[in-house]
Amino acid sequence: MSKNLIIKRVAVLGAGVMGAQIAAQCSNLNIPVYLFDLANSKSNNKNDITTNAIEHLKKIKPTPLGDSTVTQYITPMNYEDHVHHLQDCDLVIEAIGEKLEWKQSLYTTIVPHLAQHAILASNTSGLSLTTLANQLPIERRARFCGIHFFNPPRYMDLVELIATEMTDSALLDELETFITTYLGKSVVRAKDTPNFIANRVGVANMLFTLIEAKKYQLAIDIVDDITGKKLGRASSATFRTADVVGLDTLMHVVKTLQDYLPNDSFHSHYATPDLVEKLISKGALGAKSGEGFYKKEGKAILKLDPSTMNYISSGDKANDNVQQILQLSWAERLQAAKYSNDPQAQFIWAIYRDLFHYCAIHLKDIADTARDIDFALRWGFGWKEGPFEIWQQAGWQTIAHLIKDDIDSGIALSNEPLPDWVFDGREGVHKDYESWSENQQRYIPYSQLAVYQRQYLPEKVLPNKDDPIQLGTTVFETDELRAWTIDHDILIATLKTKMHTFNTGALESLDKAITEAEQNFSGLVIWSPETPFSAGGDLKGFLDVFSSQGSEGLMREEKIFQKTMQHLRYSTIPTVAAVAGYALGGGCETFLHVDRRVVHFETNVGLVEVKVGLLPGAGGLTTLARLCGEKAQQLGNPRESLPLLQQFYKQVMLSQVTNSAREAWQMGYCQSGDVLVPNSKELLFVAINNAKTLATSCYRPPIKSTFPAMGKDGLAVLRQLIIQWQQAGMMSEHDAIIGEAIAQVMCGGEVDTGTTINEDWCLQLEREHFVSLMGYEKTRDRIKAILETGKPLKN
Amino acid sequence: MKNDVYIVAAKRSPVGRAPKGQFSAIRADDIISQVTKGLLSNLPHFDYSTINDLILGCAMPEGEQGLNLARIVSLMSNLPTTVAGMTLNRFCASGLTAIELAYQKIAIGSAQLVLAGGVESMSRVPMGGFRSTLNPDFLLDPTGKTLALGMGQTAENLAKQWQISREEQDQYALTSHHRALSAQQLGYFKEEIIPISAHQNKLNLSNLTLSNDSVVITNDECPRTDSTYESLSRLKPVFDVKGTVTAGNSSPLSDGAAMLLLASETALHDHNMTPLARIIGFHTTGVPPHIMGIGPVEAVPPLLHRHGINRNELDWIELNEAFAAQVLAVQKTCQFDPDKLNPQGSAIALGHPLGATGAIRATTLIHGLKRIKGRYGLVTLCVGMGQGIAALFERV
Repeated sequence: MSKNLIIKRVAVLGAGVMGAQIAAQCSNLNIPVYLFDLANSKSNNKNDITTNAIEHLKKIKPTPLGDSTVTQYITPMNYEDHVHHLQDCDLVIEAIGEKLEWKQSLYTTIVPHLAQHAILASNTSGLSLTTLANQLPIERRARFCGIHFFNPPRYMDLVELIATEMTDSALLDELETFITTYLGKSVVRAKDTPNFIANRVGVANMLFTLIEAKKYQLAIDIVDDITGKKLGRASSATFRTADVVGLDTLMHVVKTLQDYLPNDSFHSHYATPDLVEKLISKGALGAKSGEGFYKKEGKAILKLDPSTMNYISSGDKANDNVQQILQLSWAERLQAAKYSNDPQAQFIWAIYRDLFHYCAIHLKDIADTARDIDFALRWGFGWKEGPFEIWQQAGWQTIAHLIKDDIDSGIALSNEPLPDWVFDGREGVHKDYESWSENQQRYIPYSQLAVYQRQYLPEKVLPNKDDPIQLGTTVFETDELRAWTIDHDILIATLKTKMHTFNTGALESLDKAITEAEQNFSGLVIWSPETPFSAGGDLKGFLDVFSSQGSEGLMREEKIFQKTMQHLRYSTIPTVAAVAGYALGGGCETFLHVDRRVVHFETNVGLVEVKVGLLPGAGGLTTLARLCGEKAQQLGNPRESLPLLQQFYKQVMLSQVTNSAREAWQMGYCQSGDVLVPNSKELLFVAINNAKTLATSCYRPPIKSTFPAMGKDGLAVLRQLIIQWQQAGMMSEHDAIIGEAIAQVMCGGEVDTGTTINEDWCLQLEREHFVSLMGYEKTRDRIKAILETGKPLKN
Repeated sequence: MKNDVYIVAAKRSPVGRAPKGQFSAIRADDIISQVTKGLLSNLPHFDYSTINDLILGCAMPEGEQGLNLARIVSLMSNLPTTVAGMTLNRFCASGLTAIELAYQKIAIGSAQLVLAGGVESMSRVPMGGFRSTLNPDFLLDPTGKTLALGMGQTAENLAKQWQISREEQDQYALTSHHRALSAQQLGYFKEEIIPISAHQNKLNLSNLTLSNDSVVITNDECPRTDSTYESLSRLKPVFDVKGTVTAGNSSPLSDGAAMLLLASETALHDHNMTPLARIIGFHTTGVPPHIMGIGPVEAVPPLLHRHGINRNELDWIELNEAFAAQVLAVQKTCQFDPDKLNPQGSAIALGHPLGATGAIRATTLIHGLKRIKGRYGLVTLCVGMGQGIAALFERV
């Protein structure tokens, strides 16, 4: 066996909802996939099932696909004709239906074809891995485990890895490493118990919420108002989540609990609630069948009235008293809820009591540490904080005694007492660097796996919010930016402004950081610990300067912005942007001016200035003009770049934003040499290493050079586009004015096509047109609308 | 001084859907040279060196259709090197204008036998060409602006100005498909079509083999058996967010070609040829570019008037269907007998390979008149950037 885990190709068995989307996520991240399903003997195309599943990926929203081309990396196959191709796969993920007989029979078919070194992993969410392992020949069992993805796999962080007693532990470490770095997921090791960790706790919590909601007679929209964002959970809250997941699917998970956990003291509650039963029996399975707890009628969303089973208007919120309780800290919130007479408040206490009670009792069986439960709920259910973190913040012993009281008085859902360790005088289950393991009766530190050395700021349970971890050593700090270093070799610039926007202070600080890096460091990385990378220029600042100092003032600001971006491009040290989330407007221009872009897969980059009536004025259009010119030089004829010019122009005029990092390459904002990073937690590590590599590779900045202008031929094609868009009702007269200004800059003005120009000329055009656009009231109205409502104004 | 001019033969290729239809792998010159060879081989043999010229219409004469396509086609069709060639462009009327030019040469006696037709592969040379640009300064001028409009947008303008509803357009499109399908089933196109053989190289990357299939294409690809009023009415407008013109009530992008042999009376006599029709005359005119589809309204009346023919005397009218809105707008003024108007469907169902269309419609008309034993026939088209053309034929 080699030292490295080599995964050249993955096979996914089963082209259902999960299988196809797991395949998509692999292909998004440059891992080729063979996607298998049954052969369709009735059709001309025996791969029908998989081909259709791949085709269907294009219709799913939010899209599982990183761009329109990735499906080509998924090869459709069927077990009848192609099973021998499994020998070429290093990781085989089984994701077929949850029936033991099916899996049994599939394993019999495929096992003879697996490469000796291949890992076989089941994405089962309900069956026991040990039972599944027993279906395999003994020699295969060491390289078998559970790999449980969450739906939708592109967007849900969590992957639960489940070992059996026979699984090779080194293999699991290797797999965790692969999943973390190359699939970008967050791994929790789960025990081989029904529904593992996230679904076990998450679905039990959902059941308890339904039970308590019924007890306190709360309407479903009120429950969702309480149990969504306001409690730090997904905005789809409880009932909406159930609808999205599908009531039948959800009850399938409940059935697993019911069937396999007869001795669980909560067992009596593992049943399909009457209301859900009624809905399922009338075919109301949630979003997929058009109605469930909610029903969409036209634009209105109606809620179910359980007393009549009719749908009535929704949108009710929790009462004011409860809204106030929801504003409090956990300690105050749970106490206030517990002692309130208000049923809505009592409901809040009840669901947390049930949740804590359940987690405390089951910690030993389902997870190695309390941290694993908290992480599983964060990453698998989108909770901001896991149950133990909340409990600990709320005051461990106080809450423990309140729960005990409820158990003793028979109000709790189970009469099983809390385990003894809860009362051993502890203040919680999490310490700074370790968490409680009931199994091992000790505190266990975070995973020491080498892959986590790549995360400079790993996710922690119960982070100390008052004193956030200050990584590295500060070199200088202003109100807008911290320049710091980890290794005294690469300087890191981290914006401190809201949404990491660029105001004058931020630009001057960035400029200073570049100078600092030039003088005392080998390279510069621009990175923020949280998304977005940057929402762009400070619009309010622009507007204020224009109204107080007019065009001259704005021109001065523009020059600072352009100068900083130019400094970024032409500095003597390599500059790297480590980007995740939105990089819009000025953020995108920063993106365009660095030497190398290190980009998280979930990156949304775009020049969106048209939405606020402006143009990309910090060198963005100049960069596009230069890229067209360079392409023309390569192709030997300026007119050969006209299609590229049109593509860029459409991107700018339609304010197109990428849906993933892959699209940034398609749109020409990323260049070859830029780096795609699957896991955002590794972004800084990869960026620093890229800066070092550039620095040690004889880095010299680009030299300012000339390039051919798209000129009047460019203007001709762009003007034609504007006229057509306007005629088609897609653009207003003001859009046409902005469109002409943008065309002027991108073409290098009214010069003949092929005229030699340079960046300085384009930058001057950019500045002049930027300032002149601000002179239009309609532009200022657009900016005000964004600032006031967050929504673009079409005028 | 004017000689009568006759059409001795008229043949066309089937029409393919672009850009991924039956002709997507075949060059325009390969299509038209096969039509030319087919046309001649269907006639009793004569000395081809007596053909004086080959005139070819093409709307996007660049790329594979560039250089002087007609000269290349003359040589590719195994004609003697003495048969000359010229390519001309009047967008959608190119094929018909080629016939007009041939007619004029014979009428004034500078030629006796001329091949004339048109060809277009919209699969391989896109509409708008590869790198053509309008004058950027003229685009700031109000008239210049109208040149920038997409053809569909000019159809939207017609629909608005002539108040043509979405329903009328979809209904008209459906009729076009029904008529074309019925004509296809009755074999009415058979006589005018030269089957085209095409080599299709298929590259198999899984076993790295290149195979060469030869297929013979005999039928028009665009008529849809699955079109219904409901399916048409579900389509979204494509040229204006609030518009009425859809992919369903517009002509599809297509590939095709047609060639006709024109002869003087002397040539008929010398070669013992039997004519199909006599050319009566042509009229061409310009209209505002932003309502280019109205062209026929300005082109037809002067032509009928000049030759003293009443529109009720027309037995067959080929009014090319660039868009349903455009045909319906023209009909509001021209009031052609609906039964005689495009009796076998037109571009919406059969396709519109720009530069070939004029010659294709003339071919269909001539064969149609023969079959129904009609006398007068009219071909008329609208032309991009605002023109109209009309031509009159008489069966002999």
